[in-house]
Amino acid sequence: MTETTAAVAAKGGKGVTAGIIIAAIVAAIGIALWVVQMSGGMIQTAMRNLDSWGLYITMFMFFVGLSAGGLIISSVPKAFGIKGFGGISKVAVMTSIAATVGAIGFVVVDMGQPLRVWELFVYSNLGSPLMWDIIVLMVYLILSCVYLWAQIAAEKGKVSHAALRVISVVALVCAVMVHSVTAWIFGLQQSHEMWHTALLAPWFVSSALVCGTGLVICAAVALRAAGYLTWEQANLVKLAKLLAVFLLVDLYFFGCDLLTEGFPAASGAEIVSMLVSGPLAPFFWGEIVLSVLAVIICVVPQLRTSPLLAAAGIAAILAIFCKRVQLLVGGFQVANIDWPAVLTPYTVTDWEGNMAQAYQGLVYWPTPIEFGIALGVVGLSFLVFFLGLKLLPLKPADE
Amino acid sequence: MTRLGFVIESKACIACHSCAVACKVENNLPDEVWWNRILTDGGPNMDSPAGTYPNLSISTVPMACQHCENPACVKVCPVGATYKDAETGVVRQDYDKCIGCRMCVAACPYTGVRNFNWEEPKYAIGQPMGALDIPVHEKHVVEKCTMCWHRLAKGEQPACIEPCPARIRHFGDFDDPNSEVSKLVRENECSQLLEDRGTNPSVYYVM
Repeated sequence: MTETTAAVAAKGGKGVTAGIIIAAIVAAIGIALWVVQMSGGMIQTAMRNLDSWGLYITMFMFFVGLSAGGLIISSVPKAFGIKGFGGISKVAVMTSIAATVGAIGFVVVDMGQPLRVWELFVYSNLGSPLMWDIIVLMVYLILSCVYLWAQIAAEKGKVSHAALRVISVVALVCAVMVHSVTAWIFGLQQSHEMWHTALLAPWFVSSALVCGTGLVICAAVALRAAGYLTWEQANLVKLAKLLAVFLLVDLYFFGCDLLTEGFPAASGAEIVSMLVSGPLAPFFWGEIVLSVLAVIICVVPQLRTSPLLAAAGIAAILAIFCKRVQLLVGGFQVANIDWPAVLTPYTVTDWEGNMAQAYQGLVYWPTPIEFGIALGVVGLSFLVFFLGLKLLPLKPADE
Repeated sequence: MTRLGFVIESKACIACHSCAVACKVENNLPDEVWWNRILTDGGPNMDSPAGTYPNLSISTVPMACQHCENPACVKVCPVGATYKDAETGVVRQDYDKCIGCRMCVAACPYTGVRNFNWEEPKYAIGQPMGALDIPVHEKHVVEKCTMCWHRLAKGEQPACIEPCPARIRHFGDFDDPNSEVSKLVRENECSQLLEDRGTNPSVYYVM
């Protein structure tokens, strides 16, 4: 590799520039669709009074989870003074920043009155789990940026390793908090049996570790293949083993929760059957099959090739997405009071029949505009990530 | 202290929906919006019985905001747009403050009593109806039964009470032992909806 091409590769080269352009276009289309949603009304979404959250809050949960891996993988080795995973620390934190921006974006597109967002800081009700989440998410984003800056500065000798270690510990605590608090938005509500469990917070942490690690594996393998960085296969294998452990912990929590719900054979059994054989079964079995496949790839040495490990990373991410869908739609799928009453286009997505018919399949399925806006926010995340690759020195310093 | 609320003798409800219509007119509710709905505990459709003739059964539950003593919605609102009035115990909603996050809709255990205006409010007839002193309905905010706050301010009862031809709806102060509602709760076997959720609604049913 000549010096000029090395310099180009360091900046990411043409691939990253193309990525920036595509991501920016997708994000711009998303913003345009969001304007349509706001002016024409959220009646254009499939969300209704009885299923008042949808794809946006699903994606919000999902992106908060994705933001975990990077920061935790990067900060745990530094915080505990153990050997890390090679030169991917800064790229990993960049994935965290990008995912956090996406998570905030999904909250904004879900709001009916985004112009009143300033009220959150003026009339803050500090007792609301949503307020906790907004505070922790802001701190998390700022901290991720500070942490990335500190790593870059430390390489230049401007920040001491002791200081970097302190920031690592703070970032780690904040990362655990951000997942717990996101879980509490759901887990503290006595209105939805599926959500109201003390397990939800630790479970959100484990799910976040699964999809976050999956994301870092995918990003690192892709950047290595593109020649952006060199990374030893041994480090990839280390991450893969970690992914297997996280997946097994996540499945263990799932088993615990299902048993606790189903064993009394009371109202919780309805939730278990909704997941196992009801409308949410594709997402339930999807999560299980994808998780098991990812575990098998990660633990069988012969299967640990780069493409298969990247596939395991993708499978882990998709498995957690299935989990998010189960949690959000499942929460609304069992109505507390399902006695029939007057149904209008505001009541429930499929309002033209009766209550039983509205709940026959999935009570909620997004409309095209929701998919478009969600894609736009995902584009925004990619834009942030690619801009980071292009503009910041994220390559390992020792090269 | 005052704790305003309702006793509804739903065992004698004739499912005429008069209270629901009175609410809709009084509060100038936009198309598709019903704050007070008549639920059917019976067959699969509204006002349909369970079972096969001649073994049929049906009962009716008028349901609106339960104005809980321990409201789940108030705790979760990030900006305090939904709040409990300390003087009267009425759970209120400030349309101008609501950011439209719908956290309260998810948190409320009483399915469907909270309404989000999913579009610019539309009206079947071209002009406003009902009371003159109600807050203007807004797009993309959450609203619900106000216990006719505008009428309470004038010392009147909520609009759903008087039109009931079966006279099963009663309104008053549960903290006053001599009020009609307190007596009804003492003298009848009353229940609240979803008592196990611990919200302690200010709406009691004689089922």
